[in-house]
Amino acid sequence: MTPAQLYCWHFMAYPHLPADFDEKHDSGWVTVPNRLWDAEASRDLYQTYIDQLAYADELGFDGFVLNEHHQNVYGLGPSPNLIAAALTQATHRGRIVVLGNLLPLHMNPMRMAEEYAMLDMMSGGRVIAGFAPGGGPETFNYDVPSARSREQFWESLDLIVRAWTEDGPFIHEGVHFPLRYVNPWPKPLQKPHPPIWVPGSRSPGTLIECAKRGYCYFLSSRSHGSATGRAKDQFSDILERHGRRYHPFRMGILLSVYVGESDATARAECEEGVWYFLKNCLKGHLRTEGRQLTFGPGVPYIPTRAWRQYLETSKPGRKLLGDAENWEELEASNSIIVGGPETVYRRLAELVEKSEVGNLLIQFHLGNMGDDITRASMKRFAEQVAPRLREHSARVFAERFPESEEDMALAGSAQ
Amino acid sequence: MSSRVIEVAGRKVGLVERGDGAPLVYLHGFADLHAVRAEPFPFHEALARERRLVAPAHPGCADSDEYPDLMTVEDAVFHYLELFDVLGLDRFDLVGHCVGGWIAAEIAVSHPERITSLTLIGAAGLFVPGAHIGDVFMMAQPARGIDYADLRAMLFARADAPLALDLFPNGRGDIDDEVRRYQMLRFGSFIGFKPPYFYHRALINRLHRIACPALVIAGDRDRMVPPAIAKAYADGIRGARGPVVIPGAGHAAHLEAPDATAKLVTDLWVSPNA
Repeated sequence: MTPAQLYCWHFMAYPHLPADFDEKHDSGWVTVPNRLWDAEASRDLYQTYIDQLAYADELGFDGFVLNEHHQNVYGLGPSPNLIAAALTQATHRGRIVVLGNLLPLHMNPMRMAEEYAMLDMMSGGRVIAGFAPGGGPETFNYDVPSARSREQFWESLDLIVRAWTEDGPFIHEGVHFPLRYVNPWPKPLQKPHPPIWVPGSRSPGTLIECAKRGYCYFLSSRSHGSATGRAKDQFSDILERHGRRYHPFRMGILLSVYVGESDATARAECEEGVWYFLKNCLKGHLRTEGRQLTFGPGVPYIPTRAWRQYLETSKPGRKLLGDAENWEELEASNSIIVGGPETVYRRLAELVEKSEVGNLLIQFHLGNMGDDITRASMKRFAEQVAPRLREHSARVFAERFPESEEDMALAGSAQ
Repeated sequence: MSSRVIEVAGRKVGLVERGDGAPLVYLHGFADLHAVRAEPFPFHEALARERRLVAPAHPGCADSDEYPDLMTVEDAVFHYLELFDVLGLDRFDLVGHCVGGWIAAEIAVSHPERITSLTLIGAAGLFVPGAHIGDVFMMAQPARGIDYADLRAMLFARADAPLALDLFPNGRGDIDDEVRRYQMLRFGSFIGFKPPYFYHRALINRLHRIACPALVIAGDRDRMVPPAIAKAYADGIRGARGPVVIPGAGHAAHLEAPDATAKLVTDLWVSPNA
């Protein structure tokens, strides 16, 4: 049985913020003043980050994950396909996952069809094509009208898949992106097309559209309490209604990990990077302090009835991940898992058992974490956690999902 | 008759109606009837003493269906032309606030012969270099997850004014009111977000088509629509009165100073050529 797939996610945070950043600035997103960008200090930044992902390939990770964000300190990847292109040359085995290109931000979806096809050819068919509609911050910094972004997203994605799988040229009679000559050169190497992953935060619309098309659903929540298992159950029900069966590789989750030599040393080694990430990178995104732009009435992309339901079932001002005030609160959120190899293994094994999700997308580099400790943590993970986790997860999945291997391999590209 | 729902081109439209006499169409903004409350405010009641007030909720707002094909302000104009046909409104006075003022101006330039008078209060809709309409969407994201002071400061003269706090409270307000606010932001997002932001570049050069008596009103502390936009409306519409500035009022001048604002409108009706 296929074991849990272990991916190394790099957000490529900006690590050179001044120590008083949190005190002086409202947000790490959209309006964060770009006079703080220090080009000299950042001269080697992208190379360092790319090298860390190449190292992940050497260590035997199943793949690498990149994403697109704009005008922020959380992730310096406004064009993740550029980094993915570098990875086609710097890595040789792992999958290259872009999760994802933000479709409504691009005037013509065909550019994405073409770039993914190029990356798939350049990487020998290692691409996993992620697509996302963009979150709240992109509504502001790319002027995407949030109430329209979902329909623009699905029109784009359906067009891209059609462009990859049907012979061109053909005419796309779209509402948002009408095109007269759809005829991409090149087409992807993988058939019928690269696996497609779509992130969501349990909104029924996204779950349903993914289930209909057989795409892999990536739960973008960073905390993993009971809601993670509920998301899986919800997706599983929806899949059944659309004539498919859930299995662990139809879903992915994001978590952060730091593996120290022992529980005793781990926290001290990573703590600076963790707090930098929580206080600075999440400010404006997953922290209530300042102004959070990710979700709310000002980015009204969910339908009105879903908004009413949210109001009826939530409390205003509830704490977000970045609001954790101390280490104990952070541990309870089950988002950033810190410890020696044994502890990390035990907590991940438990998460796999509870969530039954097969794609673990793991962030190792947090905030301003140094290169040496990032690599040391990745190495301990690959050597002392991953082998046991693979073995354990393969056993758990074999017991609970006794369907054929073949069925699972198709996840994300099943038509 | 007070509130009802009618059907327009297969879509439901919620209407508030008050009073008798010659018809008056009122198109709402963000801090307004339909967008924060179901009931008319004193300003609307004052107008309804002189006219038959017809105040539809924009598509997706209050009891009105969302209109999936609504992409631009032109779609909103045609939506309202259909509504006027259904209601048999041939000629009428037209008043609009904020986004509603923008739509009112667009209706007036396309069908000047149907409008007997036009009043714009804190109206968006024009591009004037350097005069940027405030980002109501960013301000609608509460600080610290609960605090709407910046939104209140954009829509009212003072963020801590009792009226502002009543309509846009911190934390969680009445859920129906919260949903109304959300619906209005969604409607605004459909026609006003991109690109451009709550204006239509061509409109300014069409204003001369408006032939009826017109009045342009602005709160002197409007932090959403800059004064240069009110001035451009007044300059562009032949013979327009204004911009008449309401001292001490913000963007929602009609809610903050209902008597003064309503009197300006009724004066226009009584003596259009004064």
